[in-house]
Amino acid sequence: MLFPLESTLKADAKTVAASGEYDIVIVGSGISGAIIAKQAAEAGKRVLMLEAGTGANITLAGYDDLLTTFYSAVSKDNQSPFPLNANAAMPRSPQLRKLQAGETDSSTYIVQSGPYVSDTTYTRIFGGTTMHWEAKTPRMLRSDFKTRSIFGQGLDWPLSFEEIEEDYRLAEQEIGVSANVEDQQYLGQTFPGDYVFPMRGLPLSYLDQQVNKGIEGTSVELCGKTYPLKVRPYPQGRNSIPNPAYDGGKGYRPIGAVDTHQVEEGGRCQGNTNCVPLCPVQARYHSGKTLAKAFAVNAKAGERLVELLSQAVASKVNIDPDNGKVRSLEVKVYKDPASPAHEAITVRGKVFVFAAGAIETARLMLASGLRSTSGLVGRNLMDHAYLLNWALMPQICGTMRGTSSTGGIVDLRDGPFRERQAAFAIDIHNDGWGWATGAPTSDLLELVDDRNLHGADLRRGVVDRVSRQLLLAFMLEVMPDESNRITVDPQYTDALGNMRPILSFTVPEYTMKGAAYGRRFARTVFARLGAQDHTHYDPGDFGYVAYEGQGYAIRGGNHLAGTHIMGTTRTNSVVDKNQRSWDHENLYLVGGGSMPTIGTANVTLTLAAMCFRSSRDILKYLH
Amino acid sequence: MSSRFEAFLGISVELTAFSRFDLLGTGLAERYLATLDKVVGGEITDTLLAAFVALPPAEGEARIQAVRTTILGNELLGDVARALIKLWYSGTWFELPCAWTERFGPRPADTTFIVSPDAYVEGLLWKAIGAHPAGAKAPGFGSWAFPPKIPALPELVSKA
Ligand SMILES: Cc1cc2nc3c(=O)[nH]c(=O)nc-3n(C[C@H](O)[C@H](O)[C@H](O)COP(=O)(O)OP(=O)(O)OC[C@H]3O[C@@H](n4cnc5c(N)ncnc54)[C@H](O)[C@@H]3O)c2cc1C
Ligand code: SF4
Repeated sequence: MLFPLESTLKADAKTVAASGEYDIVIVGSGISGAIIAKQAAEAGKRVLMLEAGTGANITLAGYDDLLTTFYSAVSKDNQSPFPLNANAAMPRSPQLRKLQAGETDSSTYIVQSGPYVSDTTYTRIFGGTTMHWEAKTPRMLRSDFKTRSIFGQGLDWPLSFEEIEEDYRLAEQEIGVSANVEDQQYLGQTFPGDYVFPMRGLPLSYLDQQVNKGIEGTSVELCGKTYPLKVRPYPQGRNSIPNPAYDGGKGYRPIGAVDTHQVEEGGRCQGNTNCVPLCPVQARYHSGKTLAKAFAVNAKAGERLVELLSQAVASKVNIDPDNGKVRSLEVKVYKDPASPAHEAITVRGKVFVFAAGAIETARLMLASGLRSTSGLVGRNLMDHAYLLNWALMPQICGTMRGTSSTGGIVDLRDGPFRERQAAFAIDIHNDGWGWATGAPTSDLLELVDDRNLHGADLRRGVVDRVSRQLLLAFMLEVMPDESNRITVDPQYTDALGNMRPILSFTVPEYTMKGAAYGRRFARTVFARLGAQDHTHYDPGDFGYVAYEGQGYAIRGGNHLAGTHIMGTTRTNSVVDKNQRSWDHENLYLVGGGSMPTIGTANVTLTLAAMCFRSSRDILKYLH
Repeated sequence: MSSRFEAFLGISVELTAFSRFDLLGTGLAERYLATLDKVVGGEITDTLLAAFVALPPAEGEARIQAVRTTILGNELLGDVARALIKLWYSGTWFELPCAWTERFGPRPADTTFIVSPDAYVEGLLWKAIGAHPAGAKAPGFGSWAFPPKIPALPELVSKA
């Protein structure tokens, strides 16, 4: 896929400031902003996109630089491909530490005010967090939209599954989802008539198959109901084999790497096992692919409809006191990530769209003094809680091959037990214990330094230790709670003088009940597999949570949501069901922040679907 | 090939159980020898190589035991040899333990670092387990659905 050359010319701050009113000003070049930019450009609207991070990775050379940074990083943590940038900082997990009661840690970008310390993250760079994501794309279940009515937990959405279903299909097309309908029809999920996904499902890994062999045909009992166990494939936002039956027989053309020059790679996943933090060939979707289409609309019309201004940090929202509309946006544009020197500009538009991610969008609103009539901006922060369980399989399973995760155990995503405890979806990690222990490097250090192996014994030792690894990551439902929130405080600012987000979070009891059950569930599965349980949670771990006499290390899920939830009135929510702000009629707050609940679906497919919906509403508003 | 480089390859084969062919194939052997020279200095490197050259020509268990007592269990050389094993397996030089530095003196270049981006990619660990480094040398679509091809241990010189 080609980026028109002119799209990579950096829009100039002065020209942008002087160029009068745009139809739409979008903050953030992640998938949310990208979808709206593309839909608007296709309707002939003039769009300015502001991106806080650098835009160097828009070209293939810039993208490949990220890969080299990753190869050269000693600690291959989540954010290792993405260079430090104090002007648009992002959370980095290795810097975290456990808090004492009542303590606040402001040494990291997100100020952790506890009691729970979250290692959740997002990426501030051109393409946003999709440059980094794992790209699992399950839909939410019907019941997930009505948990208050059905289970007496959480909140109901102002939208039903039926109302969002068609947009799910658009999102699956845009991302390019690989899955087989027959694999996704569990727990009452249905697909209309002849629907097929754009590409065929990715095959389950050998590890998945070994796990399935041990559990298929067995079941568990929970609250009087029986749940059969089986390993099912995940739908994925990465290129597989196109399904010729897609779109009524028209088929689907996968989009590989994007660049200003024609490149032929990324048309199909090659099994790099590096989807997180960066797919080397761009077989995994990132929002640059959607933006390339948005920029291409310009080229056809002979004028630039979508302008991208990177290194531009939206800093303050100005409201017209007469009508509550957003009048303008103050933006700090820096020249060099290594220096806080910047120029401040003001941009104007008919409509403003904040697509900066759930934490940064709330931060921008709060830093501008905009808490909304409901007072809910920043509140109801949600993120999936992850509980890791790890074991050694009795047989060699060839761990460390395949996409990060191809399959999982997902039959406990729904059931009457949700009246009392969180549902979960379990990922089987093809990259072994990496997330829990730092494997395989930690294994190497142990075998060489502590177990004194060398030569042939060492070679056999690493096979024995690494190729049998099984990690079950339980992704637990977290319900909205107003006291879980993002706030700001002038005493905590970043290099540009913008207030940083402060995170206060308690893992809800509902979730911890699910976690405690999840731990027991993992032990049952390990017993059926004859796998050696190596799970242990260190009380010194930053995410350690005690619950009913046991301790669990809870990890953040990077599925941020809830900070500007949608609802039915201006008093119970921040935005309406089209993600339009109740208080400011020309402002849309889009992305995970609008979601009232997250169920057990990784959030991106759903938030992408909602952005198609908002695009229609914005275009209607502009007419 | 200089005899010094020969000795370096020899000890590397001994410690990693990868053949000369595999080690030369990484294209990193010279750079790893230079890394040793840079971090611990030529003198200690020479002592290590000399200890290897002087090993008795035993086979099997006796040979393993000799490596343990004269190299891995040597107070000066043990930690350096372990760092060399880890370097070959991962491409990373891991900083020597504090106890070593306290006793033999700190070395300015002794920090944990990746020798080069290709050193990560060529780590022997991946080869040993029949996988590939995360993010490189992709084995191809769908390859993950099949059992891993774990390479057999080579017949090593020292055992001949
Ligand atoms: C490791 C990891 C794995 C994940 N795996 C999955 C998965 O498997 N499935 C799934 O569904 N989801 C996954 N996610 C979550 C997913 O990546 C996000 O939900 C999604 O990318 C959010 O898109 P967005 O466009 O709403 O926000 P973002 O992608 O975060 O985009 C926000 C953009 O706004 C920019 N910005 C921020 N502040 C400002 C400002 N003040 N001014 C200007 N620009 C600004 C940022 O630089 C960024 O480009 C994962 C996330 C991570 C980190
Ligand atoms: S497995 Fe590899 S090629 Fe496939 S999407 Fe992930 S990183 Fe890209």
